[in-house]
Amino acid sequence: MLDRVRLAVPEGGVVAVVGPSGCGKSTLLRIVAGLLSLDGGTVRLLGDPVTGPDARVGLVFQEPRLLPWRSARENVAYPLELRGVPRAERLARADELLASVGLDGFGDARPAQLSGGMAQRVGLARALVLAPPVLLLDEPFGALDALTRDRLDAELLGLWERAGSTIVLVTHSIPEAVFLADRVVVLSPRPGRVVAEIPVALPRPRRWADLDGVESGRAAAAIRRALEESADPEAGE
Amino acid sequence: MDRRRSPLAAALAATLGLAVLGAGAVTAQDASSAPAPVPLRVGLGYIPSVQFAAFYLADAAGYYRDAGLDVTFENKIDPELITLIGQGAVDIGMGDGTSVIPARSQGIPVRYAATIYADFPSVVFAKASSGIASPADLAGRSLGIPGKFGTSWVMLQALLGSAGLTPDDLEIVLYPDFGQGAAVGADAVDSATGFANNEPVRLALTGEEVTVLRVDDIVPLPGPGLVVGDATLAAKGDALRAFVAATTRAMAEIAEDPQRGIDAAFARIPELAAEPEAQRAVLEATIAGWSNAYTEANGYGAIDPAAWGATIDFLSGLPESPVAGPVSVEDVITQDLLTVEE
Amino acid sequence: MRRDLLLTAGVGLLFLAVWQAIVLIGGYPPYILPSPFAVAGRLASAAGTGILFPHLLTTLVEIALGLALGVSTALLLGFLLARSRLADRLLSPYLVAAQATPILALAPVIVLWFGSGLLSKVLICALICFFPMVVATTVGLRSIDPRLVELARSLRATQRQLIRTIEVPAALPQILGGLKVAVTLSVVGAIVAEWAGGDRGLGVLINLARGSLFDIPLMFATLVVIAGLGVTLYLLVVLVERRLVGAPHQRS
Repeated sequence: MLDRVRLAVPEGGVVAVVGPSGCGKSTLLRIVAGLLSLDGGTVRLLGDPVTGPDARVGLVFQEPRLLPWRSARENVAYPLELRGVPRAERLARADELLASVGLDGFGDARPAQLSGGMAQRVGLARALVLAPPVLLLDEPFGALDALTRDRLDAELLGLWERAGSTIVLVTHSIPEAVFLADRVVVLSPRPGRVVAEIPVALPRPRRWADLDGVESGRAAAAIRRALEESADPEAGE
Repeated sequence: MDRRRSPLAAALAATLGLAVLGAGAVTAQDASSAPAPVPLRVGLGYIPSVQFAAFYLADAAGYYRDAGLDVTFENKIDPELITLIGQGAVDIGMGDGTSVIPARSQGIPVRYAATIYADFPSVVFAKASSGIASPADLAGRSLGIPGKFGTSWVMLQALLGSAGLTPDDLEIVLYPDFGQGAAVGADAVDSATGFANNEPVRLALTGEEVTVLRVDDIVPLPGPGLVVGDATLAAKGDALRAFVAATTRAMAEIAEDPQRGIDAAFARIPELAAEPEAQRAVLEATIAGWSNAYTEANGYGAIDPAAWGATIDFLSGLPESPVAGPVSVEDVITQDLLTVEE
Repeated sequence: MRRDLLLTAGVGLLFLAVWQAIVLIGGYPPYILPSPFAVAGRLASAAGTGILFPHLLTTLVEIALGLALGVSTALLLGFLLARSRLADRLLSPYLVAAQATPILALAPVIVLWFGSGLLSKVLICALICFFPMVVATTVGLRSIDPRLVELARSLRATQRQLIRTIEVPAALPQILGGLKVAVTLSVVGAIVAEWAGGDRGLGVLINLARGSLFDIPLMFATLVVIAGLGVTLYLLVVLVERRLVGAPHQRS
């Protein structure tokens, strides 16, 4: 349930959406992805109104959502298969993507044989296989341990830098939001409203060490304050 | 724990006490009365029927009891009965003569001990209006049969063989539910196999003229009779002999006065009283089947070794012979239980 | 895998040894309980003299056609029931009623209507494997992870693509499980059908051996062949399962 959310994401930018559980951040993402319809208002993607799932959007879910009966390579190739790309070509492209997410050589592995982190990377590779200009990620690394998540965040940034896509990332992790985003949008508890948009002025390319610096501390503090205030309007005075 | 044990212990003690008392009572009984009757388990065909009237009469009139026998009847199908007799689980029973030969060839220790059906009861019948008057007339016609096995199949091959035919020369229609008799009546088939005292009799009762083709003059196949196991024969020979004598006595009395057979059968199987005319016809056909030239000369129950020899030869010569190994007449019959009356 | 095979073979040998021991200790004659050797010998002689093969072939044909008919209609119906709530509510009671009626009771009726030829056997066989296949198909299709369906939607898959790439593969383990049940039941169906009326087939051979020939070793040998038939069909499905779905340890 969302309430009067107005959000603009610049092309090529990274926006993180944070908020407490149930605030509707996943719902927001689904609406942009064309999987849910709006009760009121409009959503525009790259200038066009959203009427359903769009081929220009790559989606990474909370769980890897790999087809368990297919190999990693065939999973990554799936979007291409649905578009009728011939087999040899789509498998080759899948291998390229697997290499780009650091899974070179794991093409034949079945999802059951992969660790959580590796599976999520396959999911990421799949989302990227059509080279979408827009990437939507719904708490993509939330189920992983913190170290793996950090590594994957760094890789995601690397991919973004190379591809120049627009990224909207939903997350609970404030450090992750600060590390990745240009701007962090804070949603209030249900019904979700935008209570703050906090710019992150860290220079790019970013390093994990930047999180120990002053700017990231300032941004994180601002985010936390916004979350606290929206949870309990009386507090934080 | 102790409280739970004592009721059980009490129950055990009580049971033991009763058992001891019971045993004491039995021994006391034995000491005071005449020798106990010999128990005999007698196997009859699958469905209780008026055709077993002789047994029912002998039982009801006390012939078995007077002979010192305690007879219980069981209803079983033929293959089961033969095996049970061989094992000794049934002492004596009605078995197909044509089953004894294959059974013995497979090592089942059974013997034919008394002829009950002197005429081979499995026959081919048709409406007289079909124009079928002899086996040769069956060529190209349709014939209903329960299945391509058993006594009716053997009989059919013998019957057709006499006209130089095989079952392939006919259109065989299977009636696994034994509806082939009704099929003839409904003109669904030209002819069918059946039992001489059953399907053709019922067909005749509907007013039809019926032609019956028998195999007796072609191959003297032995009809159903009393079959015993080797072991039982050795152990209970006297009792069995008495049983056969009582049974053949009842057969003679029924041949003389069929009403006695009717009364005994209806008393035993009240459901039969629903169609007295039909049952009477079946019984009379059965009585007719009890005798042929040989039994008229030698008495009810008499076994004709020559007929058995011819049958063994015939069965051994069939294309898919049920006779697994060489079998002689002495292997399959015994005349020990027949009392020759002068 | 090798150890499993050895273990199975070992249990098999133990079974044969116990059987032989029972025959020896009980002193059973061959017409009551033939020894494993007697049965094996009779099996060899029946195969050698050509008695066995025509009956085996007949039963195989009945099973093959029965399975083809039963499984294909079950897949279609299962799909319909999984898709349409209405169809499910309308048809389920009849399906359950059909299943609750024992095939042993229905078989003679079917033979009465369709004659004692191949058709009635195929129908009886198809009927006996129909219900388990429908259930397996419906359950399999209904148990598909909706998150995968959402994934396919997000990738703009057409209905046909959804069925082909997500629904069928996801339901396959359940469907193959149902197929394993169906093939073993189909053997039962064929035998029951033959007993209800037939002049050839392994079921008929049992009756012949028992009732006409009094050849109990042959009856046992036929039982062994029937069991072997069931096991072979089952293993065939397991092989197909391995190829399509992967061995158990490979699946998630």
